[in-house]
Formats: sequence, structure tokens, C-alpha cells
Amino acid sequence: MLGLRRTLLFFRSVEANALQSFPCRQSACSFSSIDGAERTNLFFEEDVQSLLKKLTRKDMNKVFRKKKDGKRVKDTVYKFMTTTQLEEAVKDAEKKADKLLQMPPVLSERKEIDHVLVEDKKLVGLFKTKFVFTDISLGKTDRNRTIAVRDENGTLRLANWEERTRMNQIYFPRTARELWVPVMFQEENLVPLLEKKEWEFVLDRACAQFEPDDPEYIRVTRKVYEFVNSTGDFNTLRSTRHYGPLVFHLALFNNLDALLNENLETDRLEDACWAIQLYKILHPEAKISSSFDQSSQLDYVKEFIDNCSNDKPKLELAYKNFKHYLSSPRSAAVV
Amino acid sequence: MSWLCRVSKLASAITPVVLPSSLNVSQVRSTSFFTKHTAEQLWKGVTSVSNAGKKRGRGKGAGKKMIRDLNRGQVIGVGKVNMVWPGLTTNVVRGKELIAQQQLPEDPDREAKLFKLRNSMGVFRRMKLAPTERGWSGNRLPGRKVGPPDPVGEETYDGFETIVLESKSVFNMTGNLGRKRQMSMFVVTGNGNGLAGFGLGKAIDGKAALKSAKNRAGQRLMYIERYNDHTVCHDFFTQFGFTKIYVKQKPEGYGLVCHRAIKNMCEVVGIKDIYCKVEGSTNIQSLTKAFFLGLLQQKQPEELAEETGYHLVEFRSDTGNFPKVVASPSVTKDDTKNIPSYDEYVMGNRVVLKKKKYPPFYVTHDPIGYMKHLKKTLRYRNMEDVKIKLKTASKYLDIQPAASQVAESSSQTPS
Repeated sequence: MLGLRRTLLFFRSVEANALQSFPCRQSACSFSSIDGAERTNLFFEEDVQSLLKKLTRKDMNKVFRKKKDGKRVKDTVYKFMTTTQLEEAVKDAEKKADKLLQMPPVLSERKEIDHVLVEDKKLVGLFKTKFVFTDISLGKTDRNRTIAVRDENGTLRLANWEERTRMNQIYFPRTARELWVPVMFQEENLVPLLEKKEWEFVLDRACAQFEPDDPEYIRVTRKVYEFVNSTGDFNTLRSTRHYGPLVFHLALFNNLDALLNENLETDRLEDACWAIQLYKILHPEAKISSSFDQSSQLDYVKEFIDNCSNDKPKLELAYKNFKHYLSSPRSAAVV
Repeated sequence: MSWLCRVSKLASAITPVVLPSSLNVSQVRSTSFFTKHTAEQLWKGVTSVSNAGKKRGRGKGAGKKMIRDLNRGQVIGVGKVNMVWPGLTTNVVRGKELIAQQQLPEDPDREAKLFKLRNSMGVFRRMKLAPTERGWSGNRLPGRKVGPPDPVGEETYDGFETIVLESKSVFNMTGNLGRKRQMSMFVVTGNGNGLAGFGLGKAIDGKAALKSAKNRAGQRLMYIERYNDHTVCHDFFTQFGFTKIYVKQKPEGYGLVCHRAIKNMCEVVGIKDIYCKVEGSTNIQSLTKAFFLGLLQQKQPEELAEETGYHLVEFRSDTGNFPKVVASPSVTKDDTKNIPSYDEYVMGNRVVLKKKKYPPFYVTHDPIGYMKHLKKTLRYRNMEDVKIKLKTASKYLDIQPAASQVAESSSQTPS
């Protein structure tokens, strides 16, 4: 092992420059266009994040709902508390909720690694197998760890993503991450799961299995988002950490109609306005104003319906119904 | 000369006794074992047990030999040959016709039927209970369900079930009769939804005792509060006589981990998850009384909050330990120093003795050997899982065995 480490340290020093080219968030990718990648990166902007967090709606009962995670349930603990202690405990729980609701990052696809370090023709035919060299020294992350492969034809190259994931998982296993991608992510197995409404489970497992810029992760998550959008049942994912990325995806691909429809049907006018605001940030060229105030919420939605909607008649109907609902005496009584 | 003599003697010994050929000899015995004894005596000899054996309790219970009535299934006039005997097996006249004596074809199953009938007699078999109907053990009554109490007027006990907890014979000395024997039955009854009661019945007959116990239990119903209809409201300690019980509230799915009698009581009350530790006497009647006493003395969260003057907050592990306020007092205290501990408050300041868990004998007995075993088996600790994963991977993911070896060899080569 020591010998290996020394060799690897040597590798590191020699190839430090080459490794700089490791793809990360900033690198260009084939998302839809370069423009699309830039838009995806807007996910990390402060205003986008705050909008997404607001949209997620931290419902404590939902965040701390009963979870069947296969662990044995411990005995319930009871405590006598003063009012201040109780307030503090609730505050702690809210902090915990924020942590639980932290959104998985939305990234564009990563670039393939194709970097040859050395080509040694003398080694051709010496071995029938490849050799993989992994830097397992301390202080390295799975992202910046050097992993190199000596091919049978004598070329020494940096390992590609598939090899990297496998090596990282072998030396530094992560809990809930499998060495081989679980079969449930295959198309034919995924669809029945989605039909059973196991969306959160699929998304959670995708988070555990893949890196966020893995093309597979992007494929799986998008599949789920599109499915949720087609059913219109957004409430299942609301108050979970996946709601933000879901809305972001829909806004990014100009597919907000179903969401707005649901918002208007379930009396969530504010949510609709926030979603439209997010849309404006992602699509600055859209012909709607970038902000709204409390009094002009209805007009803001109308503006979107008139200018940017894909399914205008359906949304118009929902808008009319909502307006009618607002003017009816029952809703006034509720307010 | 002497040897000649010997020869002649031998010759006379060898010569066969000549009998007259017309004489026929045969053995005749006028009595036999079978003619001497009656059938009853013969059967007694086969089936009975000696006096000494009886004292030791032999010849009782299952496998006991009993007298067979060999005449059963035998009818006069009916035999191997299937004959019609008018006047014996049939009427003499049918209509205006005289029935003739005649031979019918033989019944091939006749003998088999007769043997089957005979074999069914003669051996004592205990009545078998279905596994679901059995009580705590064997065919004995304790632990068995005996149905709801009898209706009172028009009121019926719908959804009630009674479980026998104790069935024993008790004796009473009377001036007139001396030692008088009675059966005593102790039962609990309940609807599995909070209503339950227990009762004791005595009678000379077991059935009558059971009936009176059951009906008495039905007359003494109590309503018992439960937490979310599945467990007790809180941990508690309860005592009756020499029986002490420590009861713990448990989360859903835990089950009934307690004395078998307490388990039956819980079933009848409708408690599904509980842990109990009994200390001292396990007399069934005091156990029951102690448990019911504890259940009735449970406090509601509102009471606890009001008594102490603090909020009662619940932290459940399945909901991420979110602080849920169960009850709040009308006036809340602000004193943080003297907050009572919930467990101690609810248990009446009693602490359960938790015994230290010692390592098993194979660790303490031979520590070096155990360490050796651990070292040997360390490398196989994940083998089973890895094998299964490899199998599934190669089945579903189109991974060739060689590919898995690549991963293994690369991890092994550097070292």
C-alpha cells in the first residue's frame, strides 16, 4: 500500500495540471444549449433559492411525518417543559426541518473525461488486464481523487466517470449507494414505480445513488418531474426537498401550466405568483413584469396566462373559476 | 466279552417300539384357558392394570386400552356367504309372493368394514384442539377462549371474548361431608376496545364454574384508557399483594412482551404493544388485580400537565423527534430547576433495576480462542451480501463475471 501511495503521490505532482480540467459545475455541457446550461446554473442564485424555498412551504407536519425507513421505532420520549424550553425545542426542530428540506442541486450534465497521461508502446501485450491506480491518501474527496488506468495497449489515462464511481465506491463506500446501479432505475421498472406514486422514494434513492451531474441522475429525476407534472398531483412532493428542483425544472422548460392550474384550484395564489416570478428570472426575455405586489397578484397571473401560457384555454378557465371563488361570499367568510 | 455285551445293549436300545397299526392316539384336553374364562374376564386381563400399576397412575389417559365389543357389526344370519334367509334376514312374504332361500353375490368389502369398526373401538384418544383454539399449553383450559358472557335480558355482549386465566380444583372442609371438592375458574372478558372485566366462579361442575365466572366478569366491566388505541397511556408501576408489575408503553408493532396472563388481559382490553416485568409473586389472581389496578390508575396527559404545571411534550423517533405538545397546563410554571423527570414522575419515583448484560460464555470462557475465531471470520463478514449482489447484478444488469473480477483484481493488485 505504501508503495502505491508513493507512486500515486508522484502521479499527483506530475499530473496536477491535467487534473485541473476535471469537469465541474462551471464546465460547459450538452444540456440543450450553452444558454441552457447557464440557465441551469441560475439554480444557485440567491433570489432563485429563496423563491424555491418559499414555494416548498415548510409544513412541519409533513416534514416530520411518520417515515417507514425500516428502522426499529424507539420508545417515545416525554418531557415536561416550560414555555421557553418548548419554544427553543420548536426552533431546533425548524432548523432540523431546514436541513431536511435542503434541495439537491440542479446541475447540467458533466463532461466525459478523456485525458491520456502517457502512451508507452513498450508495454503492449505485457498484461492481459487493465490496472487501475487509485489515490487513497487522506484529504482527498471523491471528486478530486486521482484515479488512473493503464490499458492493455500501454496507455496510461485518467479513469472515466464509470471507473471513478466504481473505484470510489470500493475504497470509500457510501451508505445506500450500490456498486451497480439498482435495476429500479431502468426505464421498464421505473414507470410502474412512478405509477404507484413512489416519487419521493425514487428521488431519494437517485440522490443516494448518483452524483447530481450524472446523466443518469438527470434522466431519472426529469422522468419523475415530468410524470408528476402529467398527473398534476404536486401536493405529494410539496414540503419535501424535491419540490424546489421540480418547480425549477418546470419553470426552466416552460411547463408551468399544470402547476399554476393546481395552485389556482387549491387556493394558492401566492405560490402561483412566485412560480411566475421564478419563470421570469429563468426567462428574462418573457413579456411579463419581474415582480408583483400583494394587490396585483391576480393581474400578474393573468399577465402570464396571456403572454407565456402553453395551455391557455385550460388556465383561463381555472383563472375564471378562481376569480368567481374569490368573489363568492363563502370565501369572503373564510378570509 | 464286555464290549460284546455293550453292543447287544445298544442294539436293544435302537430297536423301535412296534405299535399296532390300527391304534390312533391323539391328545385331548377337556379344558383350555379360553373355555375356562368368560369374555369379560379375558378382556379384563388384557385391558386392566394391576393394583400396583394403578397406584403409579398407569393405564390412564392417551393410549389406554379399552374393551372392544366384537359383536358390534355382526348380525345373526349375515355372514361371509351372502345368503337370503327368509324369516331371519328378510320377510317371509313380499306382497303375495313367498321369498325363496337364495345365495347372492359376495360383498367384497364386508370384512374390511368389520375390521374398521373394530379398530375404531378400544383405544382412548384425547380430543384434539385446533392450534388456534389451544390455550397456553396442551388441552388444558387456561389461555383458552370461551366466547362472550351470556346476554342479560335483551343486552348482548357483542364483540366480547372471554379468556380463562386459571382453572383449578379447590377444597372445603364441611362438618357434614368432609372434604368437599369444587372447580374454581378465573376469567377475563372484554371487547378488545377498552372495555374489560374479570371474574371468579366456583361450582362442583367445571362448566357451571366457567359460566358463572364468565357472567360475573361481564357484570364487572371497566373502561380502560389507551394511547392511540394500541398501548398504555404511560409507563407505570403497580402492585397487588406480593405481585409488582413494571409496565412500559411501547411503539406500534412492538407486540405484547409480558407474562402470558397479562398478554391475555391485553388482548381482551385492546392493548397491542406493551412491555411488562413482573417482580415477586406470579399468582394469576393477584397479577390480574395488580394489572387492572394499574390500568385504572393511569393519568391522562392533561392531568399530568395540570399537576406538574409544565407542558407535556412528546418526542417520537418515527416522526423525527419533532416536539409535539400533548397537553398544556392552565398556568405554566417558569421554574426550570425543579422540573420533574417524566419517567420518574409517572413511575412514582421507582426505578427499574436494569441488570448489566454480560458477554456470552464463549467469549469469557476462552477469550483467545474467540479472538482467533473473530480474526478468521473477519474476511468473510460481507461475503454473503456480496455474493447475492453479484448474482442479482449479473442477472439483471448484463454484467459479465469478468467485469466483476476486474473490480476485485484491481483492488487486490496494489497490495
